[in-house]
Amino acid sequence: MTVDILDAGSGNIKSIQNWIERLYIPTTIIKKPTEIKSKFLVVPGVGSVGPYMDKLKKKSFDKAIQDHINNGGRLLGICLGFQIMGAYSEEDGGVEGLGLILGHTAKLGNNVSHNGWEKFFINKDKLNTQSFNSTMRLTKRKNIKGRVFYNHEYGFISKDKKIFNQSISSNLNSYSSMIIKENIIGIQFHPEKSQQTGLDLMSMIL
Amino acid sequence: MRIGASILLINGYCYQSYGWNKFRPLGKLQNVIDSLEEYQSDEIAIIRPIRENDSLKKFKNDIDTIAKLNCMTPLSFGGGLRTKENIEMLHNLPIERLIFSSPFIEEDYETIEYAIKLYGRQAIQCLLPFKLTKKSIEIFSSSQNSYISYTNINFDKIDKFTNEIILFDTINEGIKNTFDNKVFDILNINSNKLIISGGIGKDTINYAKKKNIASVIIENRVLHNEYSIKEYKNAK
Repeated sequence: MTVDILDAGSGNIKSIQNWIERLYIPTTIIKKPTEIKSKFLVVPGVGSVGPYMDKLKKKSFDKAIQDHINNGGRLLGICLGFQIMGAYSEEDGGVEGLGLILGHTAKLGNNVSHNGWEKFFINKDKLNTQSFNSTMRLTKRKNIKGRVFYNHEYGFISKDKKIFNQSISSNLNSYSSMIIKENIIGIQFHPEKSQQTGLDLMSMIL
Repeated sequence: MRIGASILLINGYCYQSYGWNKFRPLGKLQNVIDSLEEYQSDEIAIIRPIRENDSLKKFKNDIDTIAKLNCMTPLSFGGGLRTKENIEMLHNLPIERLIFSSPFIEEDYETIEYAIKLYGRQAIQCLLPFKLTKKSIEIFSSSQNSYISYTNINFDKIDKFTNEIILFDTINEGIKNTFDNKVFDILNINSNKLIISGGIGKDTINYAKKKNIASVIIENRVLHNEYSIKEYKNAK
């Protein structure tokens, strides 16, 4: 199995590639929709939502992502790649999202910026409450407990009560740290820069 | 509060510096990054300590070095980010945040806005290398290779365009517990978006914690004296 990493022309693609390949899983950098072959697609994101969505649409990646999910593929969106999954984002004066998850992206309350590390815990059974089951069995661990790195000024507010939704912290409890909806995972923090916890999490997800 | 480390990068190799002008070689970038990652550094700032004599060729060489990095710690990068061309060359690097100095000092907001468009405002940091004089604060302008009065700096614009501001004490760099706190008597910057560096030690870290400063960046003295980041994190 390989993991496809979508390269829309912005973001820290190399970090994502390093992160996954540390688990000895080969990756393919996807520059055109027709290149998506894997059943596991990562949509990274470091940037501003307006230009990012423009690039996705210009290259028809918006439709390709939808097709990937409809064909039973698994999708992992990271940071901005997660924030575009909702109906819209408030950033850049309001930008329409992919509409994959019920919710939207809003500026963090009190005009705060969230940069730093937060505690993180997840149990594998939470993944399995949706249909996002790991297929590669890279780890037998049931729990991951560690810390993860955030760097954002906007956050995702989920409106879907049926999905798995974990908040960032007690101070930012309206915003999602991680959501799982069927074959889609959205992560607000940067697992690729969360040291050992990031590796443990990907082992569990894959 | 985050506790990170800085690395100076010159022609593909790392250096430790003292007082903003004396350099001591440390070795290959990947080796230094590996050590800092082992110490569980919260973040790493890679800075090219360039002056007015930078060139696109030198910039590209350092970019090539960074492109080969394998690192799972948040990285920021700066030094020579002065044009759109510079910024475009950063695509696909394993870095999350960009450090600007000259564009803010010279009020080149077009370059900053271009970086925000590509990387988002959350990725923008402003580096202000400073020295305290008897009368005031002076900020080092890399492109002019000289200090200028802080009154020439537009702090409102910096606040508007940046996610965080790095105050770097150039005089006390490399000497522990000497960061000059008097800078805060003159500069009024929201501590939540403030990072301090230069002259960091345990006392500085305790002071920064009390002041709710966002992050402390230890200059690369940490690699020579074997002070672990963990020890600093537990400073009392």
